[in-house]
Amino acid sequence: MTTTIERTALPTIGISLQYSHTIGRAEFSGPGFRNPTAMARAEDDVMYVASRSYDYRPDGKRITMCTVGEEFISEFAKGVFEQGDGEPVATDGAIIWPTAITIGPNGNVYLADEYLDRISIYSPEGEYLTKWERSGDGDGQWNKPSGLVFGRDGVLYLVDCNNHRIQMLSADGEYIGQWGELGSGPGQFNMPFGIETDAAGNVYVADWRNDRIQKFTADGKFLMAFGETGDGPGQFNRPTDVAVDRDGAIYVADWNNDRMQAFHPDGSFAGMTYGQATISQWGIGKLEANPEMWEERKIAQGLDREKLFWGPIAVECDDEGRIFVVETARSRIQVFQKQTPLFYGVNERVAGGGGRL
Amino acid sequence: MPTNQEIAQMAHLMRRAGFGATYAELEQRAADGYEATVEELLNPTAQPDLEMDILERHFVDWREMNALEVNQAYWTYRMINTQRPLQEKVALFWHGILCTGNSKCEHGRQIQLQLDMFRELGMGNFDILLKGLSRDPAMVFYLDNCMSHKGSINENWGRELLELFAMGVGMDGHANYSEDDVKEAARAFTGWTITNAIPRYPYGRYESGFIYNPYDHDEEDKTFLGETGNFNGDDIVEIICRQPSAARFVSRHLYNFFVADEVQVPAWQNTPPRDPEAIALLEQTYFDSGYNLTAMLRVLFNSDFFKNARFEKVKSPTEVVIGTMRLVQDFTAPKLGLQPLANTIRYMGQDLMNPPTVEGWHTGAEWIDSGTLVERINFAADQVGNTSLPGIQEIVSRLDSEQVTGPDAIVDRCLELVGAYELAPETRDQLVAYAGGNGAPAPGTPEYSEAIAQTLQLIVSTQEYQFA
Repeated sequence: MTTTIERTALPTIGISLQYSHTIGRAEFSGPGFRNPTAMARAEDDVMYVASRSYDYRPDGKRITMCTVGEEFISEFAKGVFEQGDGEPVATDGAIIWPTAITIGPNGNVYLADEYLDRISIYSPEGEYLTKWERSGDGDGQWNKPSGLVFGRDGVLYLVDCNNHRIQMLSADGEYIGQWGELGSGPGQFNMPFGIETDAAGNVYVADWRNDRIQKFTADGKFLMAFGETGDGPGQFNRPTDVAVDRDGAIYVADWNNDRMQAFHPDGSFAGMTYGQATISQWGIGKLEANPEMWEERKIAQGLDREKLFWGPIAVECDDEGRIFVVETARSRIQVFQKQTPLFYGVNERVAGGGGRL
Repeated sequence: MPTNQEIAQMAHLMRRAGFGATYAELEQRAADGYEATVEELLNPTAQPDLEMDILERHFVDWREMNALEVNQAYWTYRMINTQRPLQEKVALFWHGILCTGNSKCEHGRQIQLQLDMFRELGMGNFDILLKGLSRDPAMVFYLDNCMSHKGSINENWGRELLELFAMGVGMDGHANYSEDDVKEAARAFTGWTITNAIPRYPYGRYESGFIYNPYDHDEEDKTFLGETGNFNGDDIVEIICRQPSAARFVSRHLYNFFVADEVQVPAWQNTPPRDPEAIALLEQTYFDSGYNLTAMLRVLFNSDFFKNARFEKVKSPTEVVIGTMRLVQDFTAPKLGLQPLANTIRYMGQDLMNPPTVEGWHTGAEWIDSGTLVERINFAADQVGNTSLPGIQEIVSRLDSEQVTGPDAIVDRCLELVGAYELAPETRDQLVAYAGGNGAPAPGTPEYSEAIAQTLQLIVSTQEYQFA
C-alpha cells in the first residue's frame, strides 16, 4: 500500500515565519495600548510601545513598558497636556503625536513627536531626562520627525518627514550631516516615515509617499530601492516602516494594504502576511471580566476579521528572530518567529563553515 | 471683473450649495459664471477628494472611526476642506432626514459608512438611495428591522420609511398611506437583517454587514398602496417612488434645506408649500428625470425662486461653524483642536450623527434660542477677531491694498468680503458709529488691523449673519 501526501500550499512567507502570539488590547491606561504608533525592543525582553490615543482622550497618550511575554511593567510620558480651545499645553516629557521610539546605546529611550517637533529622552525606567525641540528646515532642525534609529558607531538617524530628508545626529543631539530632498529619484524622498539600520550599518528608509524602500550606506550613499505603488507582491500603498533582521531579511509595514511584506536582502520579494492575530493574554483577562462577550463571540459573524492586520504602522525585529507588527487600528502587536533552518550548507556565522546550529 | 451683484449671487449659491467661500473664491467663481459653477457643483467627483492618506497618517484614529467624537471631528474637517461642497452638503441634507443616531448604534464607524453612502448615492436617483438605505446596517439596527420577523413583524422601519423617509403622513389635507400600508411594508422587509456583531473587547468593534435571510422572509401576498403581490423590500421602494407624495416629499425637503425655511415636517399634511409653483416645478422634474436628485438640484439652483431667496433661511449650527471656518481659513491642515471645534456645533444644538430623534432636527427659527444664539455669536466673534488667522489676514490685506478708510467704507467693504451680507439701515448705522469711534487708523498699522477685526466681530454678531 502506498501512502500519498497531498500537495498543499506552501507557507505564505517565503522567508519562513511562524505566528507566535499577540500582545495588547485597547485601553487608555494600564495593560494595553490605544492607537499605538511605534515600539522598540530593549534588553531582557522589555519593550516600549508609544500610544497616540484619540486626540480628545489625551489620557491615553503614553509609553507603555512591558515584556514580550505580556508582563505589564509601567507607563510614562502620559496625560500631561490639556486640550482646550487653544493650543495644547505640552509639558516636558509629554507626548502628543508620537511617531517613533528607539533605544540609545546607553539604554535610554528616544521618542519622536511630530506635533511638537520634539525628541524626548527618557531613562530606561521612564524618567524624563531632556528634549530637543527644533522646528525648522535648517541643519539640526526638523519638520515633523517621523523615524528614529541608532546606527553603528552610535549615530542617530532622524527622518525629517516634511523636509524630505534624513539627518544624522550624535546621541547628544549635535548635528552631523544629512541627505535627501523632495523628489522621486534615487536618494530623494516624499514624506519619508520609518527607518532602520542593519548589522553592516546600512540604512533603510520607508519612502512613504513614493511607495518604496530605499537603502543607503551609513553616510547616505544610495545603494538600492525597491517597490512601487500597488497592491501586488512587492508593491506598496504607503509603507510606514521597515525592519531588518540579523540575516538581512527586510520587513515592511505596508500600511494602506493592511499587510506586512518580507524581502530578501537584495530587495526581491519573499512573501507576505495579512495577519494571524489571536486573543492576547491581556485580552483574555478583559473577556473574563466581561463574560457575556465570550458568549457574543460564539455567535459573532465574520470573527475571522479579527486575525487581520488593521493599520499596520510599525515593524520591528529583535535578536531572537522575532518580528513585531504594531497595528494602530487594533491596539495590539502581532509577533512572528522567524524559522531558522536547522542545518546550513554554508554558514559564515559558525566557525568552520556549515553544520548544525 | 465680476460685478457686486454677481459676487452677491455667487455668495448666496455657495452658502446654500456649500458652506460658504472666501471672497477670492467668490471672485473666481463669479468670473467662471453662475451656471458653470452650478454644473461644477453638480459633478463633485470631477474635483479631487481629500488626501486621506495624509489625514489618516496624522489623525491615526480616523482609520478605525470608533467613537462619536472621532467621527464628528472627521466630518467637521471634511466639511471645512472639501473641494466637493455640494456632495458634502447633500450628505448633511440626507443625514437630517434619513436619520440614524449614535445613541442607538453598535459601532460609531457604521454611521460614517452611511454618510459615505449618502455621498455616493445622495445626488443620484431617489429609489436607488432608498434601496441603499434599506440595506444600511446602521439603519437596520437603528429602526429594528433586524428584530422584524416573518409572522412577528416590527413596524418601526416600515413606518418611518413611509412617514419620515419617503412620503410624509399626508399632503393637501389628506393622508398619504394607512396603518395597513405600514404593516404590509414591514412584512415585505422581513428577512432584511444584519450580521451578528463582534464584541468590542479586546481589540475594538468591526462594522456589521447587511444580509438577507430568505427563511425569515414573509413570502405571502401583500397589499400596499393599492397594489397586491408577493412584494419584497425593493418592490415597496419602487411603489413608493411612483407616488405623487414621494415627489412632494423630496421637493419640499429640498426647498426647505436649500431655498427657504418651511413649516416643520409634521405640519406638511395640512399646510401648503410656501411656494407652490416652485414645488410643482420640482415635482415635475422628479418624475421627468426618473427621480433624479441632480436634475432636481439643477432646476432648483438655476431658478429665480432660488436666486431671489437670499437670507431666507436661518443657518443651521453646522452652517454657522463650517461657514465661519471657511471664512477664517483655519483647520486647513491636520492639527489638534478639531474635536472642541466639532463640539461647538453640538453646543449650538446640532449633535451631528446623534440627532434627538428619528425625526432629525427641527430647522429654521427653531435653531435659535437665547442659549444657542449666544453660542453662535461668541463663536463667530472669537474666530473673526483673531487677526492671526489666514482668512482674516486676507481681508485686512485686501482692505489695506485698496486703501479703504473711513467708517462707512470699512463697514461696507467688510460686509462684502464676508459674503455680501446686507444689514438693516439702523444696524449698519450702529456699526458705522462704532467703527468711527476707533478714530481713523492708517492702513498698514496694527490699529487698522484691529479696527477691521472689531468691525468683523460686529458683523457676525448681527441678526443678519444668522441667515444664509
